[in-house]
Amino acid sequence: MRKLLNSVMNPVRRASDAGSAQFAQWFMQSTHRFTITGLSRSGKSMLFTSLMTILKYRSEQHYQCLPLLRYLPMDLVDKLWIEPLGDLPEFPVESHLSALENGQWPPATESVAGFQLIVRLRQTNQLKKYLLPFTDVVFEFIDYPGEWLTDLPMLDKTYTQWSDSAWAQQMNEPQSQFAKPWHSAVNDFDFEQPPTPDNIQLLVKAYRDYLLAAKAEGISMLQPGSFLIPGSGFDWLEYGFTPLPSRISSDQSSPWTQRFTHHYGVFQKQWLAGLKQNTFRETDKQIILIDLFEGLNHSKSHLYQLRETLSNLSQTFVYGNPGWMQRHLLKQRKIAKVAFVATKSDLLPASEHHNLLALLKDVTRGATAQLSDNEVQFEHFLVSAIQATDAGSNAQALRYVNPQGRYIEATFEPLPDSLKAMPADEHYPALPAGVPKDHLARMLNGNGLDRLLQYLLEE
Amino acid sequence: MSDTIDKPYRSKVTQTEIDQQPPDHAMPAKRETESVVVVEPPKGLSAKWLALLSGIACMLGFSLFEAVSFIEANFAASPIVTSVLAVILGVFVVSITTLTLGEVRGYRKVTKFIHRRPKLSDLADNDSRQATLQALKLHADQFASHSYARQCYKRFTGLLKADHNSAEIVAMYRQFVAEPVKVKASEVVKKESMASGSMAFISPNHLIQSLVIVWISMRTIKRVARVYGLRPATAGNWKLMKILAQNLAAQSIFDLATDEMTNQLSGSLAAKLMENSAEAVAAGALNVRLGKTLMRLLEEEK
Ligand SMILES: Nc1nc2c(ncn2[C@@H]2O[C@H](COP(=O)(O)OP(=O)(O)O)[C@@H](O)[C@H]2O)c(=O)[nH]1
Ligand SMILES: [Mg+2]
Repeated sequence: MRKLLNSVMNPVRRASDAGSAQFAQWFMQSTHRFTITGLSRSGKSMLFTSLMTILKYRSEQHYQCLPLLRYLPMDLVDKLWIEPLGDLPEFPVESHLSALENGQWPPATESVAGFQLIVRLRQTNQLKKYLLPFTDVVFEFIDYPGEWLTDLPMLDKTYTQWSDSAWAQQMNEPQSQFAKPWHSAVNDFDFEQPPTPDNIQLLVKAYRDYLLAAKAEGISMLQPGSFLIPGSGFDWLEYGFTPLPSRISSDQSSPWTQRFTHHYGVFQKQWLAGLKQNTFRETDKQIILIDLFEGLNHSKSHLYQLRETLSNLSQTFVYGNPGWMQRHLLKQRKIAKVAFVATKSDLLPASEHHNLLALLKDVTRGATAQLSDNEVQFEHFLVSAIQATDAGSNAQALRYVNPQGRYIEATFEPLPDSLKAMPADEHYPALPAGVPKDHLARMLNGNGLDRLLQYLLEE
Repeated sequence: MSDTIDKPYRSKVTQTEIDQQPPDHAMPAKRETESVVVVEPPKGLSAKWLALLSGIACMLGFSLFEAVSFIEANFAASPIVTSVLAVILGVFVVSITTLTLGEVRGYRKVTKFIHRRPKLSDLADNDSRQATLQALKLHADQFASHSYARQCYKRFTGLLKADHNSAEIVAMYRQFVAEPVKVKASEVVKKESMASGSMAFISPNHLIQSLVIVWISMRTIKRVARVYGLRPATAGNWKLMKILAQNLAAQSIFDLATDEMTNQLSGSLAAKLMENSAEAVAAGALNVRLGKTLMRLLEEEK
């Protein structure tokens, strides 16, 4: 395993590096820029790890994984390798794999990482049959903390606009439950005091405590999420801000509003603008990972809250939409595609998958409504990066090993197929399935990746 | 994942510990790199069978004829013994006829195979994946146990997952069963036609040539049918027999033509060579036609 990985990780020099013209590359390579985005804990890192492993074992050892992926037939794949992506730090696939080997899930992502995966196709007559005029298919992957994603919509708002909408959101169920300490801190706060660094710190700390508590309770709309990640390149101790009640935020003469407006501007310029440019680059294939189990675990109102978050984010999904230049001048008439993917589908018996898919469509409704206006194609998928569970004794059941090492059979009542159908006083506890010992086989036996890639790759 | 312990909500998942070990997952199947060999009986067996069968037929014929005349001649002298002999003879004839009819029934299996072959494009639209799988299984159950088609089918079933829908199942069936079987069958047809051509080329006279072509044709049918998973001796089909007869006729007309040509050219060695090579090409081409017809018969209709 280890040796295999080393061989993948060792970058092979690309022919184009040897000075051959950029021009030739356009014809020789078909670049598919994949960005896999998703909220925090939605399964991005695990999916990358699994995808790299699967593609590797498929092309080098001819394991028949991904049978539905007709676009890259096994017979045609000569070899594949990993190369760094621009200046981005390398994706730590090795440490993720050794974590799995030790029975641990990969640790939470706290900074951006990227890689490109280059698949070289064999030059045979058969190749012509598939009408592939190029030899390499290049995939670009970027992984980053989901908390950064939810901050991007803040780029297009003024401080007052953001503050008002954030404040309004906190008043909704289920956030309002966790916002009580923060709200009473604001109510007790004397805004006649000048916004000294100490005073600001007091507010920022109270607000951050709320964000952390809400995150722990499965809330996804947490702005600014960048304040929660140590690896973020923004100094929230120096330039912190919080939303303020509208009686203050609407008063442009208030020193607090002025100060926070200034800090907000710094946050936009120093942090968000660069983030959008470097991380959320132009891309024609977006994969948006969504963990529905978190919402199902908590409550119906959590699912509504997730829908709202995704709806707010949908503009960021089309940032990548390749511009006129690329599509027309370079004759890359690719249709921008967005795939909404519910992850960890192995945590639900197969008999309930159709309901999960229906629920996914309902949860992404707000987002897809906006995509349709943007000439973007979209589709919904279920994926498991690893098959961590086993079939149960009946169609509604499955089995998993819990963190205490016990083997548990879980029997599911039918899942709601829409948010409306979800009972307000019931929930589906998320199964804390551990990493199985035979994790390699179970990654290769993962579900739905072939369907997803085939959709994104076919023209 | 967050804790799920003290929620005010009712849980829609019931969990119980079970006293079993989780099963180990197997790695997915590997694609075979070496080409699968079509299982064939040891060489010479068919010739032996032919000799044996014709020998038996001669013996049977002669002894049957003898027996009947014997019974006829001796009935007047000893009616009881001859009656018993006649009954035994009758039983024998009836049973041997049943056996033969069994073989004939085998011939009709191709038609049944074709009849039972599911229409893949219809299956793909089927809403019930279970029905799709069942239809494919019913079809595959006819594949002989060591056939190439059976191996492909086995590999295909190994790739199936619980959430594949009918269209995906059918796409995979096409990719992992129908297509490889077709490629394999084409290879067989090509090889057999080469054989047919070279036999025609080296055969010294027309009788031998015709016999050889019949033999190769039968062999082609048998081998192609076997790739598709039909059991041996079930490859009989009227359409194919007609094609076979046509091929033989075409070959003889061709022979006549080339004969005429060689007459014109006077019997030089070069002329003989030319005649034979022309016949070889024709024999090969006709055999391809036969093979392709069989393949068309066995494949899904377009
Ligand atoms: N059962 C199961 N659990 C998964 C799967 N993918 C991710 N997980 C769980 O979800 C957690 C978060 O995944 P991760 O990839 O770190 O999410 P990220 O924050 O989006 O990078 C992991 O620690 C696993 O517990 C999967 O395919 N199956
Ligand atoms: Mg991660």
